[in-house]
Amino acid sequence: MNPTTVQTPTTVRLADIHKSFGKQEVLRGIDLEARDGDVISIIGSSGSGKSTLLRCIPFLEIPDQGEVTVGDETIVLTGAAHRFSRVERQKIRRLRGQIGFVFQSFNLWPHMTALQNVMEVPLHVQGRPRAECREEAEAMLAKVGLADKRDAWPAHLSGGQQQRVAIARALASRPRALLFDEPTSALDPELVGEVLRVIRALAEEGRTMLIVTHEMAFAREVSNHAIYLHEGRIEEAGPPQQVFLDPVSERCRRFVRGQAGPVD
Amino acid sequence: MDLAFIAEVFPKLLAGLPLTLSLAVLSLSGGAVLALMLSGLRASSWLGAQFANFYVYIFRGTPLLIQIFLIYYGLAQFPALRHSLLWPLLREPYVCAVLALMLNDAAYTSEILRGGLRAVPSGAIEAAKVAGMSRPTMLRRIVLPLAFRQALPAYGAEVTSMVKATSLASVVTLMEVTGLARAEVSQSYRAIEVFLCAAVIYLVLVTLITRLVHWLEARLSTHRSPALDRSPA
Amino acid sequence: MGEAFTLLGFGPEGWGHALLTAGLTTLAVSACAFACGLVLGTLCAWAKIAGPPVLRRAADIYGVVLRGIPDLLVIYLFYFGGRQIVTAIANQFGHTGPVEISGFVAGSLAIGLISGAAQAEVLRGAFHAIPPGTLEAARVTGMRRWTMFRRIIAPQALRTALPGLGNQWQSVIKESALVSVTGLVETLRAVSVAANSTELPFLFFLAGGAIYLAITTVSGLVFRFAEWRAMRGQPAMRVGG
Repeated sequence: MNPTTVQTPTTVRLADIHKSFGKQEVLRGIDLEARDGDVISIIGSSGSGKSTLLRCIPFLEIPDQGEVTVGDETIVLTGAAHRFSRVERQKIRRLRGQIGFVFQSFNLWPHMTALQNVMEVPLHVQGRPRAECREEAEAMLAKVGLADKRDAWPAHLSGGQQQRVAIARALASRPRALLFDEPTSALDPELVGEVLRVIRALAEEGRTMLIVTHEMAFAREVSNHAIYLHEGRIEEAGPPQQVFLDPVSERCRRFVRGQAGPVD
Repeated sequence: MDLAFIAEVFPKLLAGLPLTLSLAVLSLSGGAVLALMLSGLRASSWLGAQFANFYVYIFRGTPLLIQIFLIYYGLAQFPALRHSLLWPLLREPYVCAVLALMLNDAAYTSEILRGGLRAVPSGAIEAAKVAGMSRPTMLRRIVLPLAFRQALPAYGAEVTSMVKATSLASVVTLMEVTGLARAEVSQSYRAIEVFLCAAVIYLVLVTLITRLVHWLEARLSTHRSPALDRSPA
Repeated sequence: MGEAFTLLGFGPEGWGHALLTAGLTTLAVSACAFACGLVLGTLCAWAKIAGPPVLRRAADIYGVVLRGIPDLLVIYLFYFGGRQIVTAIANQFGHTGPVEISGFVAGSLAIGLISGAAQAEVLRGAFHAIPPGTLEAARVTGMRRWTMFRRIIAPQALRTALPGLGNQWQSVIKESALVSVTGLVETLRAVSVAANSTELPFLFFLAGGAIYLAITTVSGLVFRFAEWRAMRGQPAMRVGG
């Protein structure tokens, strides 16, 4: 998808993803490919299906139909009444192990301190040695600027701090791709900046990321590819200059203008 | 299962139902009155509150059965009581059982009442004050109705637990449902059939009470479900 | 007054040792019953939350039935009913006459069964108080079910369940007095025997009450401490956030 890095391997691929909730068709055939190092922003009005799309990748929502690939794991879905076999469930688990997911509402584990939250997956899911997990977790907390909060309980942290711990937690499992589901939407306006700074730094490191967001200026600046979703279809896709500044779709143009406000 | 035997036992046990019910009704009403008195005491003064707390602590901290024994067997230790005018009453297992159940129920009920009172929103009280309501009117029209609604589910559970607790009266020789069952077993040695029959009787009784409380709850909390208000009249 | 002290003391004429042993028996029966209840309660809570429909229905019926039957009847059913069954089986194998069963075992099982119904409700409530997002956050990492239960669900649920479980423990202690009907020499039985032989029923039942009060008070303090420890740094959890 990124014309300048065609040679890099595919990290995440979605093919013809369909998803309905009851009679409501939320995703109507989505194709998407993220190569190593891509930063893809996904925009669209609420109800366009962008969060559902992101949640389909680690099977938090199970697509009705289509194909999901993360790294070397591919899962093919054939119909709405799909029941996973044992092998497929293991596959999903391995697939999940290769991504880091950051939720809108942080979802830190409230009974663990910041450091314990970050160490949990490497230690108890991946079974890596404790000393190594600890060292790496501390490094991750330092990276998001929270080295001094390692022993704080989530309830004692601000929203912005909680989200930064959540990012450190997602990083700690050494994922191939990071998925952000509206990472700043639950934050007070004055706390948005600190989280965006952390995400921007990760993009500059060359990490593969998919970001669902309402922060247009940030998305334009940080991504190398953008997707505008409307009613479960990709209405516009391309480099950010195109999608944010000169889209083909009239609807996308209106959406971007409306979101960005007079500053842009 | 020997159906003929069960058909024979069932009516025998049912004969104990009036006694079970009278124990429950008497001790619940006595307990309710005592609980209200405890609440009044709690509101009256620091010392009153301390006494009420101590009472609740003692009665909730010890088994009901030991309370029954203390009254039924324990009081006989005092010659002064044995020679008093009250003795013909206090010698009666029925009186002792009701007394113990009542005192015990009062402790639990007063806690339920306390919880209900605490749950009355302070805004409702302020609104009543601002409207110029007198204290008794406020208590009668605002505080108690709200507290009662709040406490109803817990009190419903207390009622069923008291009905079940009446079975302890059998230990001091009263022939209510459990007492009759025990007697029947000592004759027939068919414990399972007889006790299961008794269990069915209690189960039906408790189920009826639970239904009644749910019905009351639904009636009293229509104000909490705006969906009902919107339905066409 | 002096006589009372001698009788309750640990001297040759005192009942102190007997009462102490009886108090420990009360604790032992209660602990076994509570443990039974916790196992049953956990299984039922699981059945109600995630079990197949048949098990869910069974757990519901168990709860309704046990909450509708007097505790004393449940103990009678286990003790006398158990004896009836064991005797019937023994007679099949040529044994004659009734077979006695342990009041301790029958009592613990009976009270465990009663408490299990209530503990299931406590645990189910605690599970539903877990913010669903924290479970999703665990699922998305590829965590296995058992790891998730052990690391994410159980620690959070137990915190919320602690007060309810504390209440259940208190109930179990009080219910354990009913096991005296099987002849097991726990606190109530011991004080009854002492009351009979000394003809000082008030004194000894009062002493029995004091033993129970001591046990419930100390356990109340222990649970309060445990709650305080578990809630450290968790102000948001109390309001269900």
